[in-house]
Amino acid sequence: MKVLNIQRMSTEDGPGLRTTLFVKGCPLKCKWCHNPESIACESSIEWFFVRCMGCNTCFESCPTGALKQGQDGILWSEEKCTRCFKCEEVCPTGAIEVKGIDMSVDELFSELIKDKAFFGEDGGITLSGGEICIQYKEAAQLLEMLGTEEIHRALDTCGLCQWEHLNTLLPHTDLVLYDLKLYDLQEHIEWTGADNKLILENFEKLCHLREQGAKFELWVRTPIIPDATDSTENIKALAEVVRNRVDRWELCAFNNLCVDKYERLGSQWEFLDKPLMRESEMEFLLKIAESTGAKNVLYTGRTRMEE
Amino acid sequence: MSAKYQNAVKQPGMLSPRVKRLRDYYFEGTNRKWNNEYNCYTTGEKWDIQFNEVSYYIVPETFNFFDTFTRSVAEAAETIELPKDFYEMSISERVAEFNRRAICQYMPTEILEGDLLCGARFNMLSSMCLTEKEQKQRDKLVREARKSALYLHYHGYGNSGSTSGHLIPDYAAIVKDGFKARYEMAEKVYEALSPEDKKGDRGADLRAMMTACQIPRELAAKYAALCRSEAENQTDAERKEELLQMATNLDRVPWEGAQDFWQAVQSLWITHMLIMADENYPGPGVSFGRLDQYMLPYYEKSIEQGMTHDFMKEILGCFWFHCNTAYDAQIRVGGNQGITAGFGQLFNISGVGKNGEDMTNDLTYLLLEVIDDMSPILEPKPNVRLHRGTPEKLLDVVVDMVSKSQGAPFLLNFDERSMAGMLRQGRISGVEKYINLENVHDYASVGCLENTMVGNDRSGTVDNNLNLLKAMELVYGNGKDFLPFKDEMTGKFSKITQEGPKTGELSSFDSFEKFYLAFEKQLAYIVERFVNHYELTEKIRATYNPTPYLSILVNGCIEKGMDVTKGGPELNYTTVEGVTFATTVDSLLAVKYLVYDEKICTLEELVDALKANWKGYEKLQNMALYKAPKYGRDDDEADEMARRVMELFGELVWKHETGCTGRRYRPGMLSWNYWIGSGFILKASANGREEGQFLSNAICPSNGADIMGPTANVNSVGKALGGKSENQGDYLDYVNYLPNGASHTMTFNTSMISDADHKGKFKSFLRGYIENGGTALQINILDPDVLRDAQANPADYRHLLVRVTGYNAYFTSIGRELQDEIIARESHRGI
Repeated sequence: MKVLNIQRMSTEDGPGLRTTLFVKGCPLKCKWCHNPESIACESSIEWFFVRCMGCNTCFESCPTGALKQGQDGILWSEEKCTRCFKCEEVCPTGAIEVKGIDMSVDELFSELIKDKAFFGEDGGITLSGGEICIQYKEAAQLLEMLGTEEIHRALDTCGLCQWEHLNTLLPHTDLVLYDLKLYDLQEHIEWTGADNKLILENFEKLCHLREQGAKFELWVRTPIIPDATDSTENIKALAEVVRNRVDRWELCAFNNLCVDKYERLGSQWEFLDKPLMRESEMEFLLKIAESTGAKNVLYTGRTRMEE
Repeated sequence: MSAKYQNAVKQPGMLSPRVKRLRDYYFEGTNRKWNNEYNCYTTGEKWDIQFNEVSYYIVPETFNFFDTFTRSVAEAAETIELPKDFYEMSISERVAEFNRRAICQYMPTEILEGDLLCGARFNMLSSMCLTEKEQKQRDKLVREARKSALYLHYHGYGNSGSTSGHLIPDYAAIVKDGFKARYEMAEKVYEALSPEDKKGDRGADLRAMMTACQIPRELAAKYAALCRSEAENQTDAERKEELLQMATNLDRVPWEGAQDFWQAVQSLWITHMLIMADENYPGPGVSFGRLDQYMLPYYEKSIEQGMTHDFMKEILGCFWFHCNTAYDAQIRVGGNQGITAGFGQLFNISGVGKNGEDMTNDLTYLLLEVIDDMSPILEPKPNVRLHRGTPEKLLDVVVDMVSKSQGAPFLLNFDERSMAGMLRQGRISGVEKYINLENVHDYASVGCLENTMVGNDRSGTVDNNLNLLKAMELVYGNGKDFLPFKDEMTGKFSKITQEGPKTGELSSFDSFEKFYLAFEKQLAYIVERFVNHYELTEKIRATYNPTPYLSILVNGCIEKGMDVTKGGPELNYTTVEGVTFATTVDSLLAVKYLVYDEKICTLEELVDALKANWKGYEKLQNMALYKAPKYGRDDDEADEMARRVMELFGELVWKHETGCTGRRYRPGMLSWNYWIGSGFILKASANGREEGQFLSNAICPSNGADIMGPTANVNSVGKALGGKSENQGDYLDYVNYLPNGASHTMTFNTSMISDADHKGKFKSFLRGYIENGGTALQINILDPDVLRDAQANPADYRHLLVRVTGYNAYFTSIGRELQDEIIARESHRGI
């Protein structure tokens, strides 16, 4: 699998203590994306200014000239790069990082179960994105293996995938974390680069399966992004979709932790200057979300500091 | 700390006016009218001294003051009138008689306002009670031992010396049956001696113990009389009543067994404080053992008789106060109310019973309330024992208390791993009679976290602190220091001499295994060097500094008729605490990676870089820091190196025994403060560390090395101790190379534990620690100052996980402005 990162002792990707697998590749390009390095399916190179000692070894040893010294640091050319990752190998400080390494299902399995003792009754493993369903074959294998260890398995998906793919994973899944971002089709295209028809369809199918007696839990997560998803209309419309059909609905308050990531990728984040949500705003949206009978609605994340 | 952050500091809880007054009074420090400063007593002979520098060979900060202390104490000492035949008696008898007179006739007795416990003064420096000839002989041995101790320290080997305390006396027996029973036992053993033995050492030591048995009895009588006379003048009826009850308590305890909770605590306190007097050392890791177990019958009795929890908390509050006055010893010299100092009067609560059942009881919870109310305060030091069967309710309280303070107000001890170590000790040293599956559950911790058995075990748990890293330095120098050391006294660099074995020129190590073999040989040499040095100090203590009072309280001494310092206890050990563990493991890993696996440099080049303190070798240094594998990341290969070093260290240590007292050496891993101080002595190390930077602390991974997060850190620590083995576990499937246990500190952000949901997750973390982790854990919760330090020194905090906005991030990997915001928030929120 094309792996971005394995996060251990994660407290925010489902119940209990978890190990979360983040993979590369996502069909959406949300403008607020917090893991922009996860969108492309192919591996990429990131340069960390704070770690760099300025020894130049990286671009000196690049066989194709894909790295060069720019005005503000090391620049990487996606086109020229052959993904030999010699630069990462020779970098003495770890300032050059490869985003997207290949790991076999067996390797991943042994890595992911290392914290089994910490999972307890409710914790476990979450497969997250990019979009995990892109690599559904390996993911299914992995989930099945984890099942033999009786480990709680959660799937974190954006929902934009073929139903057959998602459906392959469901028999091995204890919890689906499902993203519903925007209800309006046009807005969805505008903010995420894709329409949400399939996402909403898949959601209906998930709910239907549960009505038929499927055992997996279903949590919906909605990022609350200023001027994008935080409108009353949007949350109201989503509430009509969600109703009382899920086990939990998290409204994830906007955060600005990824500014540096965009800088490292040589671009500026559109939400750079946006303040955090106010507590009162989150409380308000929470009320709306609850208005159609949804249970266990809560918001997560920090809100704006107010005196 | 600036006023701005004060709301972030844990405040004491609801204290009764009495306890609050005592606690506040304690913190007035030098402004107090009363204090427990050393009282110094002499025989009046011109050669007499009191200060025993041998006890301080493990405290390098004191080295420069030995002569000054010795002289000034001798000059200040009050002369005690002695019996005519004083010098005809054995040294043990002289010490017992001298201390009896000093404590019961000369030391002031006072009752503090509102205090419910008697026994205020106990810090004492008393005469060695030696003849001129004996004193001269001792001085000669001390000169040799001191020279050896200074050499070890200033050349980076570490610190070693036979010191006081660090054990758990059989307090349970005294609380139950009193000194009377001990006296009768000593008398019986004495009467059964042959006339020859009576004249010999055994007779002398037993007579000394019988004399020492009178000290608590006489002192209690003196305090009882004081209570009665104060009661007479007391106008407040309630206080009068209290004083009379205190007198009644003292009529009974500690000579006889306690009948209720108040008496039990009074008995415990007087018995305990007199050890500190007897040993001439405040709070030297003399620990209480399983307080909530042996005090439970008295708690239950008093509850039955109608005593309230509130009153019990007042009694315990007074007990807490007295424990802290140990720090008064040098109150005018240090002026420090123990804010940073660390004496270790430790007690355990909870833990397993004989059949693995949980032993948490009502007293456990009451003690936790007292801890919460009294903290922040340093003594006594609580240690909560956790295990697979720990009830949710206890974990809830533990996590709640952790979340409220910067550093958890207690240490956590982990039974399964700890008991595995103790059982291994029993097996390796052939004492299954005293440590076995039937009784190992009653182990407890002394000092900081060192596991021992209770009531019969002297394990010298801080006596030897050995820098493992020194073995690598000797490999680089083929048995010599690879760089000269500066003599602190003269400022000159010392001559380089052959110290360890010649293990070969650097060029001769054509494989890592050859390098490792040389490391093994140098480490074996260092352990032997410690053993030889320790023998010098042990001989001084065993010959000249008996502690007859303490001997009454440690099982084996009466039976053998042998003072505790001479090898009287049933379990007789001295511990070598390995220091710089992770620095050494990471250095070995770096040598393997840079020189042998990746061939980035030759061994000669690497050693040249170390000689240059990495100046001019920055690229290599960064590779050592960031490319070489590290212990602490749950990387099986790196952790195997840690396990290998741990196993080697244990094997080398177990080989030895003291000559004059027959104490077997056993391994442990506690670094006290050496990892900071020795960082300025030990040269640059192959893991990328520069001279002067901190070394690794105890069993913790090197600063910043544990980049895979807390759970990986825990797994690595467990693996270093031997991990788990289905068929060859020492206890269940747990393996533990270190009977003493190992100190492990972890730091978390407040938000990891801030709401009910996250507290639940933190409980899962602790349950995981029980399965995979080490023997003892100190949890620190971040304060903004730490975050600021992390900003300034990101390399030291690469492991720092913060839950920022709905997910976890490494603090040092996010931008400066966001860091600032988090700091501002943490300060704003308070803790």
